[in-house]
Amino acid sequence: MSMMKLAYMNFKNSLKSYLSLIVSLAFTILIFLNFQNIVYSNSLDVLGERNKDNIIIIVQAITVVLICFMFFFIWYSTNVFLTKRKKEIGIYVFMGLTNQKIGKLYMIETTMIGFLALILGLGFGLALTWLFQMVLLAISDIAVKIEFQLSWQPIAVAACTYLAVYMIFVLKGYVNIVRSSVLNMVLATKKNEYVKQNSVILAFKSVLGVCVLGAGYFLAIKEGGQEVMGNVLAAVVLVIAGIYLLFGGVIPMVTQSLAKRKKFLYKKQRNLWVNNLIFRMKKNYRTYAIVCVLMLCSVTALATGVAMKNRYEGIVHFRSTYTYQLISNDADEKEKMDEVIERNSDIKYSTKIPILYLDGSLFKTAYKNNTYAILSWSDVKQAAEDAGLKLDIKEPKDDEIIDVSKMYLLSLYTEKSGIRVTINGKEYRQIDDTNEPYLGYLQEQISFYLVNDHEFERLCPLGTMSYTYNYKISDMDSFEQTKAKLDDLVKTKQENGEDIGRIAVDMRSNDIEWVKVLYTICIFMFLVFVLAGGSILFMKLYNDAFEEKERYQVLKKLGIDRKTLKKSIANELKFAYVGPLIVMTVSSWFSVHALAKMMSTELLSVNIISVLVIYAIFFVCYLLSVSVYQKNAGVKQ
Amino acid sequence: MSERKVAEIKNLIKNYGGKGFQTKVLKGIDLTIYETDFIAIMGPSGSGKTTLLNILSTIDKPSQGSVMLDGKEITGLNNKDLSRLRRDKIGFIFQDYNLLDTMTLQDNIALPLSLNGVSPKSCVERTNELAEMFGLAEELKKYPYQLSGGQKQRGATCRALITDPKIIFADEPTGALDSKSSKDLLECLRIVNENRQATIMMVTHDAFSASYAKDVYILSDGLIKCKISRGSERKEFYDRIIDVQTSMGR
Repeated sequence: MSMMKLAYMNFKNSLKSYLSLIVSLAFTILIFLNFQNIVYSNSLDVLGERNKDNIIIIVQAITVVLICFMFFFIWYSTNVFLTKRKKEIGIYVFMGLTNQKIGKLYMIETTMIGFLALILGLGFGLALTWLFQMVLLAISDIAVKIEFQLSWQPIAVAACTYLAVYMIFVLKGYVNIVRSSVLNMVLATKKNEYVKQNSVILAFKSVLGVCVLGAGYFLAIKEGGQEVMGNVLAAVVLVIAGIYLLFGGVIPMVTQSLAKRKKFLYKKQRNLWVNNLIFRMKKNYRTYAIVCVLMLCSVTALATGVAMKNRYEGIVHFRSTYTYQLISNDADEKEKMDEVIERNSDIKYSTKIPILYLDGSLFKTAYKNNTYAILSWSDVKQAAEDAGLKLDIKEPKDDEIIDVSKMYLLSLYTEKSGIRVTINGKEYRQIDDTNEPYLGYLQEQISFYLVNDHEFERLCPLGTMSYTYNYKISDMDSFEQTKAKLDDLVKTKQENGEDIGRIAVDMRSNDIEWVKVLYTICIFMFLVFVLAGGSILFMKLYNDAFEEKERYQVLKKLGIDRKTLKKSIANELKFAYVGPLIVMTVSSWFSVHALAKMMSTELLSVNIISVLVIYAIFFVCYLLSVSVYQKNAGVKQ
Repeated sequence: MSERKVAEIKNLIKNYGGKGFQTKVLKGIDLTIYETDFIAIMGPSGSGKTTLLNILSTIDKPSQGSVMLDGKEITGLNNKDLSRLRRDKIGFIFQDYNLLDTMTLQDNIALPLSLNGVSPKSCVERTNELAEMFGLAEELKKYPYQLSGGQKQRGATCRALITDPKIIFADEPTGALDSKSSKDLLECLRIVNENRQATIMMVTHDAFSASYAKDVYILSDGLIKCKISRGSERKEFYDRIIDVQTSMGR
């Protein structure tokens, strides 16, 4: 029989036990293909060049994440598969096959699995591209008619990337088999995850894990200036390392000490499942850690998406505070302006805010500008009343100042306290900051400082005064007409030597529409990571169950009834799911909290909801795992 | 010999296969085991000795006949009742020990009791007592992979005894052991039988192991061909078993 035929027979006969591997790989390809399709399809053309470019940049960044994910996922799944297959195909050693030939057999078999997964992944992926894009745009609230498109580039990119990664691990498996000793190969599945681990090493790992994780949490939420980016990156590395050490140290230590306490162990079915947990922990802790990190990524991805959406809505609201803004040196333009605007449209509200421009040389701050703009408390208070804007800041004292800035999509500066600003030799303490759009679009261009009226009067002689006349109109249909009239007015005044400028904001403009698409992509990433985490755990337990079959048969022979065995399995699996969930829940608070600070938005509800969604998905995975485990271990009737 | 019956089988028949290609493994066996009996079932491969043990120990079901265990007919019982019966009344010793490699010897021995809801304190006391008796007190904290074959089998015997079963079924208990370990184990079984009044049914193909029993039944072609009872000397009993085997052409 040729090697090819033998490999094909093996492949065909064991298709059922490969199923979880094939489905997982196909799922990875499906996701990858759909993201690639966004880049190559023209469904996003409607958003304009700039938006599409931004989305493509995001998708490319996600592609890198997905490739990393694919790499680790294939590494993990082929490793599990290799151990399982090594013993089965190791039998061929006794038939006189060399390690090279056995390795070749493994390669052919694994390549067949890989190609089947590729075909399924591409097939289902293509079938779902239309649905994927439709859902993507629907959630993004973008109305476009999507047609089914089939282009070869995303298929080629997805297939090539997957095959390149997959073949690395097929080759790795081949090398592993070629280098294995005969004994090693035959005893592959018996070579267990050695039961007890040294308690001193475990204690060391635990302490280190808690410290590293704690340091990660601390850095994640530490406020700061420019160093925040570095802190966040360090926090990511520390949290991942901490999670690994925690699962490798604390959990085995706790379970091992529980097993020593016979008063605890010899109750209910604990003798069975606690010992099983300890037995598998050395090998399984990495899986728990991977799953925990994936879920943490998923919560953070969702929180990022929601934060972006919040900011998007904030920015839209910000920009649409005023329809027109006129800036003039003349303090008495209001009546003229009112008259021009009211000719075409009703004024919903209007404000007048004086601005004091000061030269940069008078200032000493963390950021150096050429000019600075100062606002007075009562003017801002009046404007807030006129325009119906919030005023949730306190009036500053003589030595206090408030930063009035634009709404950022993302700010790495999270340090808000202890900032000091020196103006003309006098030091002011920054007591608060606000991004309420008192000055509308103008606030996006310039940062303002707000002082009390007394200080404003005192600073007036040092700079030049300017006045903003801000209008919000009721009827946007007359937008262009009024804009033209205002342009005429500005032109006339400028010809007369007056210093005047005009801003007109068309809120129908969609130059940041890409943020909405990003939001949807983040939701998808959330689901992808959660499903990936769930499927990794499921796959691991699915395979473990086969190894446990013999053990459960013995227990059945000993008269342990099915109910007891089922309970024991349910408890063991509960721990496998609950462990990563607890660590994820705690860690996610810190990651989301850090994100909320950077994006100046409230994300606690997103954190709670996303964690609850993960709980729900994992609960379903848990029920499935218990059922499949019981079946594979031969406990189910 | 006590007069109290622990197990009684009548006209036991076991067939394997479907219509047209049926194999009769047991062809009508009658056997009674009394309290404190230590019997060995011998016979060549395929004679049906393991099938007989499996049926008596409720792992397999007979095609025909009656099997009473501790005064109760077991042929009609459902799986749940059979599990309970195995748990409460039967102890098992397997050829390949079947200790769970996930737990220490102590936890292995205590397992049947701890799953039966016995208090942890009693579990520990009982385990220590048996381990002492079987010379395993020093090995309790070890995992099966750290034990020798003989230690594992003695451990498995402790596990079989911990629930004080009505009867212990031993399937080729010395099959995987060297002669020294075999002797140690058989000596243990003898002591358990004599001092603790345990009832033992052992299946073996080895005359030396069988010579530790009080009665030996020779099974051939699905029927009990003869019964040999022990006199005073084990060596003499062994010679008689060999003689019978020789005369039967084995």
